[in-house]
Amino acid sequence: MGNLIKAEMRKVLTTKSWWALMIPAVLFAFLFALGWGAITNDLNDYLGSSDARQLAGALGVQLGELPVGLLSLAHGVNIGTMFPVIFGVFALAGEYSKKTITTTFLTAPNRVSALTAKMITYIGWGAVYGVVIVAGASLATLLTVDSRGLPSAGQWLAVLGAGVLATILATLFGIGVGAVWNSVVGATVTLTIWMLVVENVLVFVSFGWWGVRWLGGVLPNGTLNGIVGAIGAEAFGAAGVSVPGELDKDFQWLLQYTAGAPGAFSWWAAALIFLAWTMLFFAGGWAANQRRDIT
Amino acid sequence: MHDGSGRIAVQNLTKQFGAVTAVQNLSFTVEPGSVTGFLGPNGAGKTTTLRMVLGLVTPTAGLATINGRPHNQLGNPARVVGAVLENEGFHPKRTARNHLRVYAAAIGVPDQRVEEVLGLVGLTPAADRKAGGFSLGMRQRLALATALLGDPQVLVLDEPANGLDPEGIAWLRTFLRSFAQQGRTVLVSSHLLSEVEQTIDQVVIVSAGMTRYYGPLEQLRNSQRSRVLVQPADANGLVKALQEAGLNEVEPTPDGRVAVAGASVQQIGDLAAKAGIAVYGMQEDKADLEKLFFQLTSPQYGAAAMPYGQQPPPQQPGWGTPPQGYPPQPNPYQSPPQGYPQQGYQQPQQPQQPGQHQSWGGQQ
Ligand SMILES: Nc1ncnc2c1ncn2[C@@H]1O[C@H](COP(=O)(O)OP(=O)(O)OP(=O)(O)O)[C@@H](O)[C@H]1O
Ligand SMILES: [Mg+2]
Repeated sequence: MGNLIKAEMRKVLTTKSWWALMIPAVLFAFLFALGWGAITNDLNDYLGSSDARQLAGALGVQLGELPVGLLSLAHGVNIGTMFPVIFGVFALAGEYSKKTITTTFLTAPNRVSALTAKMITYIGWGAVYGVVIVAGASLATLLTVDSRGLPSAGQWLAVLGAGVLATILATLFGIGVGAVWNSVVGATVTLTIWMLVVENVLVFVSFGWWGVRWLGGVLPNGTLNGIVGAIGAEAFGAAGVSVPGELDKDFQWLLQYTAGAPGAFSWWAAALIFLAWTMLFFAGGWAANQRRDIT
Repeated sequence: MHDGSGRIAVQNLTKQFGAVTAVQNLSFTVEPGSVTGFLGPNGAGKTTTLRMVLGLVTPTAGLATINGRPHNQLGNPARVVGAVLENEGFHPKRTARNHLRVYAAAIGVPDQRVEEVLGLVGLTPAADRKAGGFSLGMRQRLALATALLGDPQVLVLDEPANGLDPEGIAWLRTFLRSFAQQGRTVLVSSHLLSEVEQTIDQVVIVSAGMTRYYGPLEQLRNSQRSRVLVQPADANGLVKALQEAGLNEVEPTPDGRVAVAGASVQQIGDLAAKAGIAVYGMQEDKADLEKLFFQLTSPQYGAAAMPYGQQPPPQQPGWGTPPQGYPPQPNPYQSPPQGYPQQGYQQPQQPQQPGQHQSWGGQQ
């Protein structure tokens, strides 16, 4: 297994997709966090409205001192996780499109070990993506958010942990979708459009028209974003914790939306549901690869 | 674990791609110490069979083994079998050296082996170029280098001569022969008998997914009886004289000559002299293997085209055992499995000569 993992590492390092995707991942995480950081200070100021006062009272936090930095962190990480998904698509579907899969299978004891080595290697790469993406978003947050709005060290560590978990799962999710569909271009284009546009529209429209609030809490992009986003939402009492006193449900959704996790139940629920999505595609792709004829 | 015999065994192999039957009940064995040609026209099922042997395609029925085991039970398979396949993939942006380093790591051989195989196939000068920019012949060499990384006991090659220049073909021929002479196994496919005729000892001929002939090439060659074309002064007289002497496969040809089968040049000369008929020339018409191959593989000839005393119909049970007189050759070169030399083919003559290197490394 060690040999195969070494081979997978060499595969990644001898082509440029790892840095060609990592640079924009960090860049987008930084820029989105920068943008959100710039406006969240205003959010803290705005939080004088009745709903917010009620919320703040319930949470026992002082008005205007909510850790709004979590919002910029979450939005930075959310956009960044697009790239490990695409990176994952390349892992296996890329081997099919370049036909290197033939030699990969010929030089591995069996397909299970070839795919296991790939999975382990990409878990490592997913973690690396997580660290650099959180770092990019953190830098932008420090640059823009006033010190009163910065999250605590514990919250920051939680974001790092959740971010790494999210990017690892995102990478495996990409591998799974690529393995099922077996087309780099098809999977990349569809996933990008789905995650950036389709699902957001679905979540927004179903909330606006039918008042469905939970949709973002179960769909892949929503749950992936929810892993980190729900930490912010929870800090505002909009997810995970039961807030004493009535917090308007729609306002709660809007707060979640602002935190980048509309509909999220809690960070760990989001993680579990996204894990289920990952497993669904990963298991499907795995099964298909055990049997697929390489011609 | 595998038995180290170097034997490839294909037993009643069938593969169906939807409605297409690519391979139908195919059986043959490939013995170590020889080069076996796997011949058949386009679409005969060669590639599919080889990919089943290598575990890349799952058979619909039947079993293919190397060293007594299916490919996925060989342990570290690239140490046992190396393969050069048609349209094999290289990442276009990866250099030849990096490509080989990836798979050297997978097999668990030191990176030094990468330099060895690069030198062996003459790609050292192009090692740091991206494989995407390689010519067809260079790709074939890179594929061969990849196959040799694990210093395997068995080599499987699918149309390896495609895209090679004449020098490359000659090199490959020598290489495969010396590889087999070390007691290793070579199975090489082609759709042209003439392309591999000088390389192979054994031959498996398939057409439309079925075995048409399987045995020593020599036996195939001998099975086609040659005839002698005689140019006599008196054709009719000669025919009569020969027939009286008991030769019944005698017939005049349109150009005034006499074609005689089943008799040697000396016999005919003696008989002609006895009959007092002058002979101006005699010419031996050797068996044309290519024609034979064509007959064997043309569907319309089918089983009728088996004048060699083989028992053709592949559907017959028992075709799995070699037809008549398949030699269980005692093989002088075959080394015992345990003592299988890891550096085996480094020493032998031809392929390693610097001069050969030169010619193979010629293209940048
Ligand atoms: N993946 C596939 N799907 C459907 N049909 C296939 C597939 N692979 C091969 N075939 C069919 O199986 C038959 C045998 O093909 P194969 O490639 O094994 O022939 P071949 O002997 O290697 O031919 P060639 O000399 O052209 O390389 C052909 O009819 C081909 O169309
Ligand atoms: Mg073929």
